[in-house]
Amino acid sequence: MGTHKKHGFWHRYFFSLDHKDIGFQYLLTAMFMAAFGGFFVYVFRYNLAFGPSDIPLYGDLAAKQYNQLVTNHGAIMIFWVGMPILLAVIGNYLIPIMIGTDDMAFPTLNKISYWIFLLSCIVLLSGFLMPTGAFGGGWTMYPPLSVSDFGYNNPNTTFWSNFFTGNTFFLLAVALEFISMLMGGINFVVTTLNKRAKGMSLMRLPLVVWMVNIANLLFMFSVGPLIAGAFMLLMDILVGTGFFDAYRGGDPILWQHLFWFFGHPEVYVLLLPSIGAVGEIISTFSRKPLFGYKMVILMVIIAAILSLVVWAHHQFVSGIDPGAANIFSLLTIIISIPFAGMVLSYLGTLWKGNIRLEIPMLWALGMLATFTFFGGFTGLHLGSNVFDIYAHDTYFVIAHFHYTLFPTVFLGGFAAFYYWYPKFSGRMMNKTLGLIHFWGTFIFFNTIFIPLFWLGLQGQHRRIYNYSAWNDLLMQPEHIMARQIATVSLIFLLLFQFVFLFNFFYSLKKGKKASKNPWEANTLEWQTDSPPPHGNFDPYPVVQRWPYDYNHPEKELDYCPQTES
Amino acid sequence: MNIFPESISQIGSEMDKLFWIITAVVGIATVITLFLFIYPIVTRKRNKTKEEMYMVGNSHNKRKWVYIGMMLLFLGDMYILLKEHPIWESVEQTLPEPDFKIVIIGKQWMWNIIYPGPDGKLYTDDDVMAYNELHVPVNKVVHMDIKALDVVHSVFLPQARFKQDALPGRTITRWIKLNKTGEYDISCAEICGTGHSIMRGTMYVEDFNTWEKTMADIYKK
Repeated sequence: MGTHKKHGFWHRYFFSLDHKDIGFQYLLTAMFMAAFGGFFVYVFRYNLAFGPSDIPLYGDLAAKQYNQLVTNHGAIMIFWVGMPILLAVIGNYLIPIMIGTDDMAFPTLNKISYWIFLLSCIVLLSGFLMPTGAFGGGWTMYPPLSVSDFGYNNPNTTFWSNFFTGNTFFLLAVALEFISMLMGGINFVVTTLNKRAKGMSLMRLPLVVWMVNIANLLFMFSVGPLIAGAFMLLMDILVGTGFFDAYRGGDPILWQHLFWFFGHPEVYVLLLPSIGAVGEIISTFSRKPLFGYKMVILMVIIAAILSLVVWAHHQFVSGIDPGAANIFSLLTIIISIPFAGMVLSYLGTLWKGNIRLEIPMLWALGMLATFTFFGGFTGLHLGSNVFDIYAHDTYFVIAHFHYTLFPTVFLGGFAAFYYWYPKFSGRMMNKTLGLIHFWGTFIFFNTIFIPLFWLGLQGQHRRIYNYSAWNDLLMQPEHIMARQIATVSLIFLLLFQFVFLFNFFYSLKKGKKASKNPWEANTLEWQTDSPPPHGNFDPYPVVQRWPYDYNHPEKELDYCPQTES
Repeated sequence: MNIFPESISQIGSEMDKLFWIITAVVGIATVITLFLFIYPIVTRKRNKTKEEMYMVGNSHNKRKWVYIGMMLLFLGDMYILLKEHPIWESVEQTLPEPDFKIVIIGKQWMWNIIYPGPDGKLYTDDDVMAYNELHVPVNKVVHMDIKALDVVHSVFLPQARFKQDALPGRTITRWIKLNKTGEYDISCAEICGTGHSIMRGTMYVEDFNTWEKTMADIYKK
């Protein structure tokens, strides 16, 4: 332990190898990017409800900018907020302290992964400074739209003029982000397999560690085809190869397959760490063992494998073989079964529990409820290929995937954040502000997206700057009202995040001092100081039992740390 | 307040019905799950013994309720698939004999419609091209050859519950049969650039005599 000494500010935040500091760097960077994602959505939702002129804090919005903001909102929220928070922050901060070790297996690789991530953020945002403007063809980058102004299609361009475009920068930023996440992912898996404390068998690992690892493996299995596809797309843009150009032997649908082969598992890559953290929280605050621990892990592995073979449900009407669509529809609907097993296990954990409605528990329950009732169940509507003919590319889809991703990234993310905040800062967050933040976020999140379900069923299609061309269909007073309800709710939702920001920084300095184990939880991170010292444990813990022995009949207390025999 | 815009085809009404079938399956699942959610929260302060609370769920027998829940959802899933598959087969996997054929071409940012011309055959010299206006007869099977010139578009007829991506370099033939006359929308459902939101066409569904007259007018020009 003696090798870990305290470092100064500069060393700590710029050259740190400590997994906790790197996790914190990821967190701050992701929050910074979330501010962009949130601002973009504010601008384009304002436009949809109240028109494109004089948007407060922005000015006038043109159709081209609208497309750019929509595209970058999607990409930022998934790749630069969801991925870093759920994989990098949870993985970096929690894995070593939960498995009882001092740091990652490859600390230098970990540091490099963060700096590449930061570079990817800079590359993405500098896309806005390019002469052609940021990329605006939808975050899915469907060619030929994503190449149409460049390369072969435009004889006036050169390699370098193609290079300095939003499209190229967007692709490069995504590529850099993947490199960073792959480095992190390798690190997490190796650390989990090789650096566990004595007695920490795989079946004694906390669920969230399992989930982060499954998510990382799933990411590695699925990302390969997209990297190949992204390289082809880059070549199409830069030097005018024709991989996705139908008039020169290419095929635009090829990109859609490569993209969604990654794109669908990606949703689960985000979901798993979040649902893992929610599982920890539900077990802790129900004061009950996680029901069916092994089954949950098995179900998640089954769902992860199934998620590799459902990608074409994004393409039911894209021109794929309609016979094949039947199989994808079947598999998509079947994937609800392992998730039902998982959700029912969590509900089994709640059953007969001495539930403590602390702030993290509220977020966790909110996540589970919205994800299941609106996100998961509308998945059955869209998984049915027949109904998807109508609903595809409408706001029904938008509401559906926001009901899966918002609970995953934000509700689950905040649950984890409030839960582990005492550990990472050594202080408790203010509970009243936490309650205000929770109810503000939860209520307004629902009032944004429930109207959007209805608008989608009305036939309101996606990524439209202005619906005035559809006067009869989509510009009736009730449609305008629904859009305004959604937009006003969004503005409130964003405002409530300032409560969180204030609480975050205020509690960091002024919060009540946290004890080692404020929630009376079992896992190893609660056995060390808050915040853990450089090196985490002294001496290393020895693990005696699995992490969910709450209310064990042979124990006096209602919890029993993993180190207790 | 309607949930759906009016439906102008037999298939469309069946699809709306399917939506309600799925919603019913999901609704039953929601009610059960919601109970499992709320009941433990409401009774959270009741006294329970440690033996009662230490539920690990480490044998199949103890997990039987989870399995039963999964089985029920599986049955619901199968019911949905059973109901939807025949519709998919008739919409996408069969092509009834056409009464009339047209070509619809997506292009930044308009719909080009090609009518077969007086000889009634497509892809001949007397084909006539029109912009953004599609005239089709009511209660007749219409074949549409869907194409795109530049980027991916998507022919979306909300009232007909019809959607098909239009791809450059490919011709995709789909059919519609509409049972109500009137003026309806053609939207583009796939982002296609700056003008995506002005890419609207109009579909006129007309009774056979009016439609024949309209066609004659178009061909005269």
